[in-house]
Amino acid sequence: MNTMTKQPILVVGAGITGVSAALEAAETGCDVILVEREPAIGGRVLRNHNYFPKLCPPACGMEINTRRLERNSRVRVLTNTRVTEANAGADGWSVKLASAPAYVNDRCTGCGECAKVCPAKVPDPHNLGMNETTAIRSPHVDAWPTTYTLDRSACPADCKACVEACKYEAIDLNASAKDETVSASSVVVATGWHPYPLEKLTELGGGELKNVIANVNMERMVAPTGPTEGKILKPSNGEPPKKVAFVQCAGSRDVNHLPYCSAVCCLASLKQAIYVREQLPEAEVTIYYIDRRAPGRNEDVLTRVAEMDGVKLVKGKVGKIEQGQGDGLKLRLEDVEAGQIVETEADMVVLATGMVSNLVNGDLPMNLTKDEDNFGLDSLEQKVIVAGVARRPEDVAACVRDATGAAAKSVIAARRA
Amino acid sequence: MASNVLISSTSFREALAKKGGVTAARCYQCATCSSVCELAPEGLPFPRRQMINAQWGLADKVAADPAVWLCHQCNDCTVRCPRDAKPGDVMQTIRALAVENLSTPKFLGKLVGAAGSTWPLLIGLPFVFWIAFIYAVNGFTVPEAPLAWHDFVPHWMIYAVYIPVTLWVVIAILVSGSRYWNLMGQGVTRSGSFVGNLIPAIKEILAHKRFSDCEAARPRKTGHLLFLWGFIGAAITTALIIVAMYGFKTPLPLPQTHWMKWIGNFSALLLLFGGLMLLANRMKGGQSAGASTAFDTFFLFVAFMVGLTGILTEGGRLAFPPQIAAWMYVAHLSFILCLFATFPYCKFAHMVYRTLAMVHERMTGVASR
Repeated sequence: MNTMTKQPILVVGAGITGVSAALEAAETGCDVILVEREPAIGGRVLRNHNYFPKLCPPACGMEINTRRLERNSRVRVLTNTRVTEANAGADGWSVKLASAPAYVNDRCTGCGECAKVCPAKVPDPHNLGMNETTAIRSPHVDAWPTTYTLDRSACPADCKACVEACKYEAIDLNASAKDETVSASSVVVATGWHPYPLEKLTELGGGELKNVIANVNMERMVAPTGPTEGKILKPSNGEPPKKVAFVQCAGSRDVNHLPYCSAVCCLASLKQAIYVREQLPEAEVTIYYIDRRAPGRNEDVLTRVAEMDGVKLVKGKVGKIEQGQGDGLKLRLEDVEAGQIVETEADMVVLATGMVSNLVNGDLPMNLTKDEDNFGLDSLEQKVIVAGVARRPEDVAACVRDATGAAAKSVIAARRA
Repeated sequence: MASNVLISSTSFREALAKKGGVTAARCYQCATCSSVCELAPEGLPFPRRQMINAQWGLADKVAADPAVWLCHQCNDCTVRCPRDAKPGDVMQTIRALAVENLSTPKFLGKLVGAAGSTWPLLIGLPFVFWIAFIYAVNGFTVPEAPLAWHDFVPHWMIYAVYIPVTLWVVIAILVSGSRYWNLMGQGVTRSGSFVGNLIPAIKEILAHKRFSDCEAARPRKTGHLLFLWGFIGAAITTALIIVAMYGFKTPLPLPQTHWMKWIGNFSALLLLFGGLMLLANRMKGGQSAGASTAFDTFFLFVAFMVGLTGILTEGGRLAFPPQIAAWMYVAHLSFILCLFATFPYCKFAHMVYRTLAMVHERMTGVASR
């Protein structure tokens, strides 16, 4: 029974923003369809080890949300599903959804017998391809739904190992894709972001020098369930680094890359400096920055890190990173406060790369107004609300606040004549 | 004036904006520019500091800054600048303003500095002068072929014009140069002798060592090197001919096969070739070439025309009827006059200021790069 709106509200993207918006809209009494293209909800947030400023794990916050989801019958969650067409009508939207074949159905108990016998290896998307996993697997340890997922394209010809291993007949290698057209009285776009590609930062050795990694890689590395089981290691030789440099605004606030500030990278690096110092008390950390943007209570993190032993904050953008001695890296910058050109070595560099709106590549086939940086704009007339990083770069806390606003606006839009 | 007092000059900022440095306002001081500059000495990074000086209108700091001239406009900074603030262009504009502000007398600096609009006057006046002068002396009577230039314009006329102009230029350059030298020297200690440091600096210039370190603007190196050697060759030829004429009583015109002609011809070719390469690079444009302002193009054009009219004069004397060849000679004399007279006030002066900055750099010990 739907008392608030005639048709359900469609939420595209089940990251922290989409999940929050879907729940809040549902809790006002609306039916909600929550669509996610990945096999599990949680998006980018679950790829973080800890949130700033409190440095607590995001799985905790997501757990509360999954409980709310499980208890709320008004939210219909469709994973492995993309929007393939969206047409605006007088009364809202008609949206075509394409769900990938459910090779593993909900009889799956997550026992893991299939993964044990799976011979096919694929780069693990949850760990950003930093390690390999089996073609059939749990998406990740915190995945909800807990159903396993299969990367069918990686299966060797005629391999049925997983089917034979499954006691619950949960695997159907011949499952087919499903299309569905739904009506939505309004749409919340919460498609989020992806990291700016490291390979585009050639001047900083991105994609070329092994020990130059991105902040998102560091996040996976520190996670106990990540590719190194929580250890900070140099990709070149698997040893812990002794000198770690963080390069802020790597491809951000830069007309040659992303012209805008992603709003989170300063805090992400400060947080990661804490990771390094806590795990490797001998390691020296230097953060090279243009500005230290730590607004509001985030300033406490800045103060904490600035006062830490073994951490230096140096004003000056690193302009060049080259191979140094051995597997070391050579950084060149102007130390602005000293007025000196500095050539320094580090054995691991973390590039603070920014966030690219997922609306950039037209994956969402929807007539949407975007700003020059591909972030979406709300339109109550068109009954489209944009929330979270799809709207503008912001941190998790801001996304959650944004989601509540988006839920309210989606109801307003849905009820407009 | 206390050193911690910053004086912002509105007129400097306005002039900067008007002459091609308006993008300085975009700079947010990230220092990417300094870090990618291959020419910046470790202890004297540029152009990040120059960008904020320009942005804030700190005319005094800009005027006394050696780094302004150590910059060779490689434009590596401009290519990488995250704000598209074009530090390479800003530095070039600062140099144009420096030439103007240091010039003696200042009104000539302003006149040539505004070459974008005053060029017809700057080029036209030498023409008017030479035509009038020749008319006054011999009624512009062109002698019959075979033409010898001293029958048309006797040597005393040449001396009467260029000796005083050269003296004037030397004095103007000495005054302006020493003013810049003193400004740079305020509050810093120099060691060693001027001449002792001038010689290695000149050696470096002749080999164009620094241009090789540039990345974005490396195509400019060859053109600039040829251009410079073309000038040097032309100057050597002139000196040789004067010595030959008065020391050895060698009759003029020299036969085309004479070795001095060869040096002269070769120099003219270098000048033309180098000039064409530089012009082509400017016309191709793009970030690596930097913006072309009247400051750049006026000097380049006049110097190129000296080479071109020189070749035309030499060839025209033998190939064309005297009436036509005579005009080529007049054009050649006029462009030389224009080049000489504007030397202290146009981009040509960079030769002096950059050399001084390089000597200063050596004498203050920041040269180790």
